[in-house]
Amino acid sequence: MASQIIDNYAAELLEDVQQSVRSGSAAGTEKRFKVLFEDFPEADRMRKLAGEVKQHTLDHLDEYLAQAESALEANGAKVHYAWDDKAACGKVEEILQQSSAKTVTKSKSMVSEEVELNDFLAQKGYDLVETDLGEFILQLDGDHPSHVVKPIIHKNRAEIARTFEKHGLGEYNDEPEVITRRARSFMRKKYLAAEATITGANFVSAESGRICIVTNEGNSRFGLAGSRVHIALVGIEKIVPRDIDLSLMLNLLGRSATGQALTVYTEFISGPKAAGAVSGPEEFHVVFVNNRRTEVLESDCREILRCIRCGACMNVCPIYRQASGHAYRSVYPGPLGAVLSPLLAGAEGFPELADLPKASSLCGACNEVCPVDIPIPDLLLRLRDRGKKEHAAKASANTPPMGAWAWVAQSPALWRTSLKSANMLNLLPYEKIPFGPLGRWTKDRTLPPWRGGKFRAWAKNRKKEAK
Amino acid sequence: MATCLCDAFFDEAAKASVEVLEGLGIEVVIPEAQTCCGQPAFNGGDWEASRAVVRHTLEVFSGEDPIIVPSGSCAAMVFHGAPLAFEKEKDRALVDQVGGRTWEVFDFIFRGLGISTWTGSWPGKVAVHSSCHTRGTGTPEAIRSLLGSIEGLDLVDFAEPEQCCGFGGTFSVSFPNISRNMGNLKIDNILATQPDLLVSGDMSCLMHLRGLAEKSDRALPARHAIELLRDTMDASILSHGLANH
Amino acid sequence: MNDRDKIFTALRAAVAKKEKPADLPELPLDDFISRPRRGAGDWADFRRNFEAANGDFLAGGPDLRSLLEREGAKLGYCPEDLRDIISPHLPEGVELRSEFNRDEIDEFAFGITRASHAIAETGTLVLTDQETPDRLGALAPWIHVAVVGEGNLIPSVVQAIQMLPADPNVIWATGPSKTADVEGILIEGVHGPGIEACFVLS
Repeated sequence: MASQIIDNYAAELLEDVQQSVRSGSAAGTEKRFKVLFEDFPEADRMRKLAGEVKQHTLDHLDEYLAQAESALEANGAKVHYAWDDKAACGKVEEILQQSSAKTVTKSKSMVSEEVELNDFLAQKGYDLVETDLGEFILQLDGDHPSHVVKPIIHKNRAEIARTFEKHGLGEYNDEPEVITRRARSFMRKKYLAAEATITGANFVSAESGRICIVTNEGNSRFGLAGSRVHIALVGIEKIVPRDIDLSLMLNLLGRSATGQALTVYTEFISGPKAAGAVSGPEEFHVVFVNNRRTEVLESDCREILRCIRCGACMNVCPIYRQASGHAYRSVYPGPLGAVLSPLLAGAEGFPELADLPKASSLCGACNEVCPVDIPIPDLLLRLRDRGKKEHAAKASANTPPMGAWAWVAQSPALWRTSLKSANMLNLLPYEKIPFGPLGRWTKDRTLPPWRGGKFRAWAKNRKKEAK
Repeated sequence: MATCLCDAFFDEAAKASVEVLEGLGIEVVIPEAQTCCGQPAFNGGDWEASRAVVRHTLEVFSGEDPIIVPSGSCAAMVFHGAPLAFEKEKDRALVDQVGGRTWEVFDFIFRGLGISTWTGSWPGKVAVHSSCHTRGTGTPEAIRSLLGSIEGLDLVDFAEPEQCCGFGGTFSVSFPNISRNMGNLKIDNILATQPDLLVSGDMSCLMHLRGLAEKSDRALPARHAIELLRDTMDASILSHGLANH
Repeated sequence: MNDRDKIFTALRAAVAKKEKPADLPELPLDDFISRPRRGAGDWADFRRNFEAANGDFLAGGPDLRSLLEREGAKLGYCPEDLRDIISPHLPEGVELRSEFNRDEIDEFAFGITRASHAIAETGTLVLTDQETPDRLGALAPWIHVAVVGEGNLIPSVVQAIQMLPADPNVIWATGPSKTADVEGILIEGVHGPGIEACFVLS
């Protein structure tokens, strides 16, 4: 039986990468716990409320999307829709062409990774630069994020210094401050040269037609201030009903993601620049992207769309910590990715990622830290059911078949007989059996002595004595 | 409900559970026809096989009496996992009825019977590992309260308690490398506090941790937490708040 | 069918499938306020939180002068309507310009703009397009000084949401820009200012 891809990936992962990922994740988990519960003794109740707000929105998403569209348009934004990745890339290109933009600055957007926007625009000859420090480094390396909030959690300073040197950003210097200053200098020219800027959005308020972008670096601010055209690429599930819902979401997001009450910049954008402003976009476009979200909404795993991309689940996940983000072979890693990625792959793509829901001990730590209370373990189980029904080979790798066990477990007499007869195991050097599930167990662990039938015998005798 | 693990390896834990309950004046019935809660197949995604086994269990435990389980994992299967597996099934109502009266043993003593302190003495440092399936249940508080009240017993906290031990049922053989690494991290954190004993409400976690420790020649004395209650229980337990029951 | 119609058709079909759509819960807004952070919600609390985020609280003119002297700032952006308030507190030889020239972006050591409000609970300054003639003036120089009226303090984040100005570009700024992308080590001064100062006007 072939082994599980993610388990192999973890086994082969370089020591220093695993160290980086583990310490970054553990720090995030610790900070979240400290800040969230110091500030809000009722934090768990807030998580459940936020989950209900998001679920309500999803359950009425047709209404709220229509409301958001009207409100945005009333604010002077142009609203577009993209059914899938091709449409999203095509729509962005159309807007860039219409405004004769050639140079583009870009802020973090996970949905842009989904639709592979950067490669598309590069091929079409656009000069596009990622402005978030982590994303900038990844772009230079031709690499991809391994965490939704800390994109280069898998890299250390030496690797970054080498990358900068390779790309003419200065002689090798791995001081974080130097690295940051170099990026700052480099990017300032780009912001001013760019005609267009592309961002994501953390939230969209249907009530007021505002999008909300949270950053620490100030890159989206500069991207907007420097350019003429702003394109926001937004998954349709990012909508919340009202501005007041943002008070709950924003109080949970920063603390869950990085242990901050608020990130340094929280931007509420509802249109192009004000009439009197010198700098800022003259056009504000919002492209609502579907990319199979309606399929997920229709499925029995719709709760995953509540996600506000805080990264707390992957920070706490013991499997993510061992394997790192790239093991998930998709845009979204960790517990989030284990549910969302196979679903976003559609019916044809599901088998390729059907092992992701298996990469979990179902410990539930993810649900415990999720700011919108997504029942991730239940969703993983549903996807395992689907993987088995569709006979996905990647899902069943290394999974002991349950047919015989189920047969014995339905027959009390057979069960008791098996319990007693397996006492023979104690005579066998079973740790010398190198194959199958038993072999995989005994490679690293001893097995306790088999004591089948002992409890039953005791129970029977005790009944006799009572009489 | 003895659980298949106790049936196979850990009769002592199942025995101790019965003895504690009887010591509290409860009449305990052990249905002979019981086998397994159905979790192994459920977690692996074979819900058809799981449902077949669950149906047998529903039959064996039919009635109105509370069902007590010396395992947070198996109890959670009965009251949380099974309803999920039976979402679209006609006999869903029966699953809910059985789940509604299923208790992990410590939670039963603490919240079911209202007993929060225990008798006797057990001098020493005890590390408590809360199994993942007891998240959001009364079990972790129950174990800490009851064991912590035993004279001389010193509960020690270890680092990263929220991290799973790595057993996860078939996960331990489907993802053997990750499972082993998770277990070793847990063992390191536990041993750093130098406890005299490691306890848990789940023998599955202990089987995995003890197995890892033994194979690498590290000492990790570990027992089911209910055995401590059995060992320290004396006759005075009967006046310990059973009036609530 | 265009993409808009496709999406809405699919959405309607998807939401119709849910047996029990979730209700919008009542929000106990009072519970969303961090009492330890907000304190009484006054300027002392703002200052505590602002300084915890490494903001520079300027209690008066002398503090502004010291800051600019300390940083060796020579040229700053300051809109016309703030000149009279700021000029008296400038060190010798400091020049103000009321236009931010993009081509001289690295010449400006500081930028002074109005903040419409401040939020006590988090030490946050509220910037808007209407109060900021040129966004670059508040963003590009290493030092940003936000001038805020004493009467414009909002106690909590919840209240600040309820009072969001009708402005196309509202920015909540909490301290200097920063990143921890490199090995989780905190570095201040990334793309936004490296020094965020607050000058309160009575």
